Amino acid sequence: MKPWAAAADRLRELKGLMALAGIVLLAIAISPVAPDGSRIFLQAGNLTDILRQISLIGIVSLGMTLVILTGGIDLSVGSTLALSTSLVAMGLTRAWPGSGYAPHILYAIAAATLAGGLAGAVNGAAIAGIEIQPFIVTLASMIGIRGLAKWLTNNANIDIGFGRDVAAEFAAVFRQKPLVIGSYAVLAAVFWVLLSRTVFGRHVRAIGDNETAARYAGLPIRRVKIVVYALAGLLAGFAGVLYAAENHQGNPNVGVAYELDAIAAVVIGGTRLAGGKGSIAGTIVGTLIMGVLTNMLRLGNVDSNVEMMVKAVIIVLAVAIQRQRSVD
Amino acid sequence: MPDLLRAEGIGKRYGGVCALRNASLALAAGEAHALVGENGAGKSTLAKVIAGSVRPDAGRILIDGEPASIRNPLDAQRLGIGIIYQELDLFPHLSIGENIVVGNLSFPETALVDFRKVDDFCRPFLERVGLRRRPRELLSRLSIGQAQLVALARALSMRARVILMDEPTSSLGEDAAGRLFRTIRELTQSGVAIVYVSHKMDEIFRVCGRATVLRDGGNVGTLEVPKSTPDALVRMMVGQVGNLRADWQSARAAVANRRADCQSAPLLSVSGLTTRKLHNVSFDLRSGEVLGIAGLVGAGRSELGAALFGLARVRAGEIRLRGVPIEPKSPAAAMRHGIGLLPEDRKLQGLMMDMSVLENGALAACRGMRRFGFLSAERERRALDPLYRQLGLKCASFSAPAGSLSGGNQQKALLARWLLADPGVLFLDDPARGIDVGAKQDIYRIIGALAAAGKGVILASSELPELLRCSSRILVLADGRVTAAYDAAEATPERIMAAATGAAEARP
Repeated sequence: MKPWAAAADRLRELKGLMALAGIVLLAIAISPVAPDGSRIFLQAGNLTDILRQISLIGIVSLGMTLVILTGGIDLSVGSTLALSTSLVAMGLTRAWPGSGYAPHILYAIAAATLAGGLAGAVNGAAIAGIEIQPFIVTLASMIGIRGLAKWLTNNANIDIGFGRDVAAEFAAVFRQKPLVIGSYAVLAAVFWVLLSRTVFGRHVRAIGDNETAARYAGLPIRRVKIVVYALAGLLAGFAGVLYAAENHQGNPNVGVAYELDAIAAVVIGGTRLAGGKGSIAGTIVGTLIMGVLTNMLRLGNVDSNVEMMVKAVIIVLAVAIQRQRSVD
Repeated sequence: MPDLLRAEGIGKRYGGVCALRNASLALAAGEAHALVGENGAGKSTLAKVIAGSVRPDAGRILIDGEPASIRNPLDAQRLGIGIIYQELDLFPHLSIGENIVVGNLSFPETALVDFRKVDDFCRPFLERVGLRRRPRELLSRLSIGQAQLVALARALSMRARVILMDEPTSSLGEDAAGRLFRTIRELTQSGVAIVYVSHKMDEIFRVCGRATVLRDGGNVGTLEVPKSTPDALVRMMVGQVGNLRADWQSARAAVANRRADCQSAPLLSVSGLTTRKLHNVSFDLRSGEVLGIAGLVGAGRSELGAALFGLARVRAGEIRLRGVPIEPKSPAAAMRHGIGLLPEDRKLQGLMMDMSVLENGALAACRGMRRFGFLSAERERRALDPLYRQLGLKCASFSAPAGSLSGGNQQKALLARWLLADPGVLFLDDPARGIDVGAKQDIYRIIGALAAAGKGVILASSELPELLRCSSRILVLADGRVTAAYDAAEATPERIMAAATGAAEARP
């Protein structure tokens, strides 16, 4: 079989693509029409808006995909994102001994992102080391990390201004559409390769498919799990950096229910919640489905409460059409 | 007077495997009746058919001479049949009393549970089995032996006239077993009939009046236990071995050759190995040797593999590999020392059913399958294709999920994983279990090839013909201890079974 044929085969297996195509066609059909006769949904500005809106949740979903593939769950990523927005804003509004904006900005971003990675590694250590269920561990850290963020900021937003200072410079750069969308694209490509072409990625899927058998095959289960949760935290931390830039503030109260949106994107993308089966490509499709749907409803001026109800139906439908009869 | 219970012509197939063919059992009131046979002879299946948890394909069951319809466990309960399973089917987080009354037709059901009524209901039965614990205690606080008494009290409270016990002493100590035997004697004196499923000779000769022997799912005969001997019973279990003998004599020449290579220093040397289930196990394995491990279910065959592969905690003893002491604390550590384990249950412990045949085969040796740091399907294909060919593995495509293969091909994919990882010592735990005859032959061929290539192979198996055919030496385990070791030349089915069932010690 030629490589492209194999790739085409895999895409055909990705039934979420059909759902995405359906929703895109629907969005085009019911899109309002601009004065010049073109459909607003299809305008370049709108399409890139969609991509920008999904980028943050998309980045968080990449890590969530790995977590769910191992048979776990991570409820703490929303809190981690809030912690990261706070840390990056705190870092940028502190005095910096050196000269030049670039090192200061890099330092703030690195600190916020690594804090997310550390939070994830602690999750992973508790899950793999003490063997507590992922749901419970990350439920606890969801609460604890939120508390940490509020405590560090005294429960106040840290505003990033629009002037010429370092924080404003940071926001101006990191809220640009190409940079946000580009970050998501690069990370998605990296995680796609990581999952499908590396030993680590194969171990992730093997552990989720059959953890007992993974133990009998001598796989490093603990190490893989710790790395998976650390990566999920790292990505949530980086998403928090972009969030702070976009909203011009560090805020310990944002990111609520982000974990649920990320989980929804992953399962809509065909990843099995019990683990073992799924792909980054699926999650990207799942994220796009959510993004296009939101955009379509907003363009149609649908009430945001109705929007939630429609989303609920779509989640169940998307998973239902991808359901496969089990082997036995 | 008609028999209390009579099962006639019972047949049961599972897919292509015939578990029971024309099996029968006649039970008189007040007797303890042993149901014996080798591993896989059909004892447990027959017991489950009588208890209504397995539906037979053929045959009928008579109670007091009347045909009875037992379609499910509730029917059995109504007819006065109780069963105590090998793995106790009780609820650890419920109290003793709740365990006895749940699903119990004799206990009047009310909307709300009246715990005093539960206590009153249970007390006489707990007394009768000799368990002095309060009915409100949680089951999880009891020992396994005590939990077994709760199961017995439950059966009695259902007004059972027939109680089936499936290997009741498999997890009991000496004391608890003695107490169970006393209770059985009291029950039979009061007219209850006990079906005692076991293959432990000493117990059968202590407790039972008659014994029905099954082999390959059919009856061999029923005999009066006090008038018989353990040896006679073992002979009935093993059967005529004419074919087998010829097969294994032809293999003898090859074995003699193999033994010639085996004079070198031991590859693996185990002394005094003790774990939760093993006691003081010692043996040497030389390169080019196939060491057979015989023993009944629960004798410790799999535990030995687990101990060598870092899955069971070693309490005492030493494992030396090429003379150097090693302590495999995890499977990964064992693999670094060059020890591999083909697990007993390929579905649970072996394969990733949703991953492809290729990925499954490469799993234990992924790191060698990389090119520029990334996994290369091409490299995996080149490494595994010859192995799959050698094993005769048939699959639609290498990217088909392992779950879509037949049992024999699944086992071959799993074996390929270990052939690719290429350990110096390979422990095969029942490698031919539940696969078709052709695939079995393929696997035996590979075992021979591994030994010829200078590997040390340990073959644990529940099938004597397989052990006799493939091994150069056979170690017999019973209750976690080595009870005998035979060179292939001196091993016979009778000797092995006698050592495995403890008939040697039970001989009057």
